[in-house]
Amino acid sequence: MPTAARCRRSMPGEVIVAETPLLQVEGLEVRYGAIEALKGVSLEVRQGEVVTIIGGNGAGKSTLMKTISGLEPAAAGRVLFEGRDITRLPGHLRVPLGIAQSPEGRQVFPDQTIRDNLLLGAYHRNAGAAELEADLKLQFETFPRLQERQRQMAGTISGGEQQMLAIARALMSRPKLLLLDEPSLGLAPLVVRKIFGVIRDLKARGVTILLVEQMANQALAVAERGYVIETGRITLQGRGADLRRDPKVRAAYLGEH
Amino acid sequence: MVAILQAVLSGLALGGVYALVALGFNITHSTTKTFNFGQGEFLVAGAFVAVSGLLLLAGKGITDPLNPDDVTLLRYAGSMVISMVVLGLLGVLLYYTAVRPFVGQAGLAWVMSTIGFGIIIQNVALAVWGPSAVVMPSPLGNDVIRVFGAGILPQEIMVLVASIAVMLCIDVVMRKTKIGKAVRAVAQSMDAATLMGINVSAIVVLAFVVSSSLAGLAGLLIAPITTASVYMGLTLALKAFSAAIVGGLNNPRGCMLGGFLLGLLEALVGLWHAELREISIFMLIILVLALKPEGLLGQRQVEKV
Ligand SMILES: Nc1ncnc2c1ncn2[C@@H]1O[C@H](COP(=O)(O)OP(=O)(O)OP(=O)(O)O)[C@@H](O)[C@H]1O
Ligand SMILES: [Mg+2]
Repeated sequence: MPTAARCRRSMPGEVIVAETPLLQVEGLEVRYGAIEALKGVSLEVRQGEVVTIIGGNGAGKSTLMKTISGLEPAAAGRVLFEGRDITRLPGHLRVPLGIAQSPEGRQVFPDQTIRDNLLLGAYHRNAGAAELEADLKLQFETFPRLQERQRQMAGTISGGEQQMLAIARALMSRPKLLLLDEPSLGLAPLVVRKIFGVIRDLKARGVTILLVEQMANQALAVAERGYVIETGRITLQGRGADLRRDPKVRAAYLGEH
Repeated sequence: MVAILQAVLSGLALGGVYALVALGFNITHSTTKTFNFGQGEFLVAGAFVAVSGLLLLAGKGITDPLNPDDVTLLRYAGSMVISMVVLGLLGVLLYYTAVRPFVGQAGLAWVMSTIGFGIIIQNVALAVWGPSAVVMPSPLGNDVIRVFGAGILPQEIMVLVASIAVMLCIDVVMRKTKIGKAVRAVAQSMDAATLMGINVSAIVVLAFVVSSSLAGLAGLLIAPITTASVYMGLTLALKAFSAAIVGGLNNPRGCMLGGFLLGLLEALVGLWHAELREISIFMLIILVLALKPEGLLGQRQVEKV
């Protein structure tokens, strides 16, 4: 198995780190019957980065996230994680490798308690009770609302709280890569601000994040790099700040004409 | 008064059997939105495998006549294990041949394929054990026990106790254990469950194993009461299915409640006019469907976005 990072000494006293990106997507194609949802998408996410993907409705963002998590099969192309080809690996085996996702629409388990939802996030770990308690405590520090309501059914809390839960649940797997699919979807502006606050905190803690968003402005502000996806193709990519200033991006995604 | 008490006890025993099979429908339906339309034949297989298991344990051939003194409590328990294991394996076979190829497909291919699988089982049973009913003696004998003057068969008490115990176990497992919570997660959303690292295919196979073993258990429990016949499956499965509809196919407790309700209704109406038993069941179904289409304890299906 390839190692995640290789170091080589090129000149005396200087260390050049040639790092394999955490996630590499190469020429990915995904179809739903006759619909080609992804038509050759390539991107990469490096260790410690926050990368965002912006694009309109039906551009293929969720399809990309699902394929990275192994929920949709790739028709062509590859997905590499830590240099390892996982294109054909079943979804449930990708979680132990370190890929967690907070899916579009949150998808919390409504008939189970918040606490049980969080514990399901740690399902694959076979961790002892003490370790799980410690991890729960960590999540509750980030999301105090969840602690107050831990015995409540997840279906009974607000959309914003459900989104917090979906993120915390994903973090319970101790991921190396956190996939967030439209965490701001359908939330009030104040709650959206909170969610982006959480994403900033996670970034400060060094969590590697791939963030799909329609709120392009906020997403590009928090991300180091961004990709613009349109009808299944990456049409633009660059540093978050640069994309934010790009006239095409401004016109199409930041509501300016 | 005594007659009513007697009917209530017999009705509950029969209801326990319906409830077991109905719970089996719930378990596979909640995870895959499919169930085994040949569940009645699985129940038959459960009864006959148990008969053969008893004979084997008594050191006889699997199709020899079964005598009351072949059936001890210990052997009955042994044959229960045999029957549930064999049926569980049949459940795996059913899933891979008759369900999995069609899961998630539009249309009702799985309905036909599970019916077909049941017919194959029935014909195999016919070939092995023949068309005549087999009397399976109860390990507890046939001396009627008096409860407040009402006569009840020991086997009926055993059916009631065993079915309630098994259902309580399943209820606790589903609510309290990690695997039970994973099953409920799969029932909610296969994709979300996969994102938790849950092996959804394994859980689905498990659902068919449990559902089929429950049918096997039901067959073994009811055989000493009604005699085991290759043809008893359809009626029992239909009633169990009615129980699931009445109680709520998507709620395990609803399915159990429905089973007991139907058993009671059948026994009580039978006391009054035996020929009205079936009619009363279907009247109950129509009434429940009119007032609460999702069943007594069923949750209204929320459209998923
Ligand atoms: N299960 C499916 N079956 C068929 N077509 C699908 C399916 N899921 C998505 N599609 C189609 O694939 C394309 C990409 O959809 P996708 O959900 O990936 O877009 P998206 O960028 O996430 O959009 P949104 O911003 O609305 O979430 C769309 O044309 C969509 O209609
Ligand atoms: Mg989407």
